[in-house]
Amino acid sequence: MAKKKKAKAKLELSRRDILTIIAAGAGSVIAAQALTTGPLSPFSQLKQQAIEGEPTESRGHTTINHQWGMVIDLDKCIGCEYCLRTCTATNDVNPDKPWNIVVEEKSATGHTYYFSRPCLHCQHAPCVEVCPVKATFHRDDGLVVMDYDRCIGCRYCQVACPYDARKFNWQKNDYENPYIPTWGIAEVERRPRGVVEKCTFCIHRIDAGRKNGLVPGEDLDATPACVNICPVGARIFGDLKDENSRISQVIMENAVFTLREELGTLPSVFYIPPKEGV
Amino acid sequence: MSSSTLVKKPISYNPGFLAWLAFIGLCLTIGIVSGIWVLSNGLIITNMSDNVPWGLWITIDLSAIALGAGAFTLSAIVYLFGIKRFQPIVRLAVFVGFIGYTAALLTLIMDIGRPDRFWHPWVYWNVHSVLWEITWCITLYLTIMVMEFAPVIAEARFFNRWPWVRSFAQVLHKFAPLFALLGLAVSLLHQSSLGATYGIVKSRPIWFKPSMPIMFILSAVAVGPALTMSIAIIVEWITGKKTIDQNILRTIARFSGFALLVYAYIKFWDLASSTYYAPTPAVASSLSMLNQMTPYTFGLWFIEIIIGIIIPVILFLVPQFNRKPANLVLGTACAVIGIIANRWNVTVTGLFVPLSYSPGTLYKLTPGFYSPSLIEWGVVIGILGYALLMLTLGIKYIPLFDNPEH
Repeated sequence: MAKKKKAKAKLELSRRDILTIIAAGAGSVIAAQALTTGPLSPFSQLKQQAIEGEPTESRGHTTINHQWGMVIDLDKCIGCEYCLRTCTATNDVNPDKPWNIVVEEKSATGHTYYFSRPCLHCQHAPCVEVCPVKATFHRDDGLVVMDYDRCIGCRYCQVACPYDARKFNWQKNDYENPYIPTWGIAEVERRPRGVVEKCTFCIHRIDAGRKNGLVPGEDLDATPACVNICPVGARIFGDLKDENSRISQVIMENAVFTLREELGTLPSVFYIPPKEGV
Repeated sequence: MSSSTLVKKPISYNPGFLAWLAFIGLCLTIGIVSGIWVLSNGLIITNMSDNVPWGLWITIDLSAIALGAGAFTLSAIVYLFGIKRFQPIVRLAVFVGFIGYTAALLTLIMDIGRPDRFWHPWVYWNVHSVLWEITWCITLYLTIMVMEFAPVIAEARFFNRWPWVRSFAQVLHKFAPLFALLGLAVSLLHQSSLGATYGIVKSRPIWFKPSMPIMFILSAVAVGPALTMSIAIIVEWITGKKTIDQNILRTIARFSGFALLVYAYIKFWDLASSTYYAPTPAVASSLSMLNQMTPYTFGLWFIEIIIGIIIPVILFLVPQFNRKPANLVLGTACAVIGIIANRWNVTVTGLFVPLSYSPGTLYKLTPGFYSPSLIEWGVVIGILGYALLMLTLGIKYIPLFDNPEH
């Protein structure tokens, strides 16, 4: 009789069976999440540090309340490409694929001006949304940064970035960098083959500077290289959340625009348009 | 035990079969050599670039998954809608699906810059990413297909020596409807997410539309079962043994024909809205750029429609055509070409249009260019060799067409 019962059970799947399976499935998913990226993960501490940038401060009474941004004054820019050169030297970028581009453009009335573009560090960054492994993510201070050790090189972020700010390392980086040492020395490592890279707003300067009590945008050692070198002061860097910072003042006093506003990416880089016919 | 029906017969190596094996071996050799070449030199030896970062491999990847859609469609028809008539083809469908999905994963491994980190999506989660969801769905679905298929493999003579494998497989078989249900959910998710991979990218005007996921899933549902049907017919031609009842195959052809019509309907409205009713300035200028400066003109859309939809629909639906199995195979071939052409067109056209983020009105951008390098084709030939090898082995050693329920 027991045999008969067993044979019957083989053919039918009771409601309890199904519920058990669903519960077991859901349970294992939750467990996997907790163990890999959740609170139980051995990596969680590391990850938290990477995202917050400066763990010591976030635990103290002062919480991070910054949002680093840049203003580029297209009216002042003379197209000297100093920013491109020092960026390429400081971050040891492939000179053929600069992070920071400078191009000559014409306005609707035929007036020539120069346009330059770092990574815009969008607050709603498409690259952050599409990355399958969170290799590119937002820090609490608004910067969009890359984890080169996590990137799998699928290039979806490159496809999704509306501003062409991302470059892929198609081969081993053994290029000559002609801008070193004239325009600066390499302050960060070259990226390995097979990952995507982009402008970081010189994150290494910001983090090191703030540890020493410097203010990015005011102290040169804590400010991106491209901002420091600009001979006409066309680039202004600082804290967008601080109303008294110079950058906030400039944004309030000028009619600024952002690139492709209609996409809703909320870039942290603002442009002052060129005045016509100067 | 059904082993009494399995008569041991000497393996025949006729010249045709040997030539076939040699062909597969050649494909695999080309693929392995190309693969090693790519892994050692990096993706620089492909013709992909920063302007066109995706190319032939992503096309093959998407096509292979779409062509594997017969598995979930036919499983759902049998286990979910309870149309038991189609039971005999489910095994073949799941097997073809398995080949398609593993082929896609192989291509993907070649395509990413860091194949050594292929496991990252399973450990580092970004639940907002479509690509993350696709990776998970494909993995889950592969697991489900293995579970669904384990009982069939356990029937092979090889497992006579371990009876516990059989009993375990029988337990798994009990869950077949559940697997089919799970498979359906996961498949519906990722087959459409493949379209969403393009559809959500707001920086590329001609991709950014809600019809993308719908068109992807409809085309997959239409062509996947047709491919399974044609493989059954071809196997019957080659082995000379009856595989699956002709009526079932014809019904599947009709189903595919109607599904293609639904696909064509959505595709028509998609065309109408993106070119006639509501083209945004960005879409309009992108399309005119493609028409004027690249080979990807409006004519290609027509080719996709005629070869990929109209010819198969006629061959699948008109009674005097679909009575002949040869016509069904021909129709499937056209539909498969159509779906691959579609995935290719979607990928490259979107990437060829340069990003016009710069405010300079007179700043002229040139369209991107891409045509696959020989090494990329080599990898694709290898993937094809893998698919054919799996198919051959499966037909020879797995009881794909035996049906215990009859």
